Amino acid sequence: MSRCPPPTFACRLLESVLPDAYGEAILGDLIEEYALRIESTSRSIASRWFWSQTCRSVPSLVWYSLRRGNCLIRMSVAVGVYIFMGTLKFAVDLIISKLLAPDQATYVVLAPIVFLTTTAIGGWVAARIRRGTTIFLALMVTITVAILIDLKVCSIPVPWWYQFGFLALGPLAVIITPALFGRLKPREVVA
Amino acid sequence: MKRGQLLGSLEQIILLALVRLDGTAHGMIVRREIEERTGRNISIGAVYATLERLEKKGYIRSFTGEPTPQRGGRAKRLFRIEGAGKRALQISEQTILSMTAGLKDHWGTI
Repeated sequence: MSRCPPPTFACRLLESVLPDAYGEAILGDLIEEYALRIESTSRSIASRWFWSQTCRSVPSLVWYSLRRGNCLIRMSVAVGVYIFMGTLKFAVDLIISKLLAPDQATYVVLAPIVFLTTTAIGGWVAARIRRGTTIFLALMVTITVAILIDLKVCSIPVPWWYQFGFLALGPLAVIITPALFGRLKPREVVA
Repeated sequence: MKRGQLLGSLEQIILLALVRLDGTAHGMIVRREIEERTGRNISIGAVYATLERLEKKGYIRSFTGEPTPQRGGRAKRLFRIEGAGKRALQISEQTILSMTAGLKDHWGTI
């Protein structure tokens, strides 16, 4: 059996969205098949297959997570983290405005940095509390940003792609951060 | 037949794969069986989402297997087809047969 580990980032990404019930089984299945594919093909082909399975599985698993009965707990955790994120962003905005008193141009530069940092922290916290919560949090961030764009809350004239960046990168930061900075749960390997 | 008892196409294929695999298998084996027989490259996520739905309907049952080093120490989830699942497959087949009866001559015109 090959000892090449599967793509770490793909594993972490899956771990952050996998529902608890079948999470272990799905990842275990993929790792097992990956090892078999390395033996029959090559590492790059096997990695490509692993990534393709990861990307194609995420939508089904997200839908599956949303439909599961225990989504109320995840939603509650997501709401809690969402409030924490909002408070954090408000505090950081307040500190920046008090300390730097930024002009419009500085604010345009600082706003996405603060936003992405808080969403990334929120995603990481949500994933630490409960697996699968990040999906709900990403959904809430998407809805919030979409509403804010629609309400034209931003009084500073900015190009469309600037606002679209918030809409696309915010939820992505929530989902990807736990995969980037999280650690795969250690497993006891039976010899 | 009630609406909830009707099998979706993927549900039907997965149940048939389980029957072919002697009634018990884990997700990746089911996925591989479907790929080998139909050429359809479905994702493992779609397979598990369907298996979970079938379990809720009472057509299959799942149980946890032993963790192995080949799986990074992760346990297998094995699925077994139940009597209700076999009956659902039979009803599904009968439905298809009765709907396609006498249509062979029409295939060319469809």
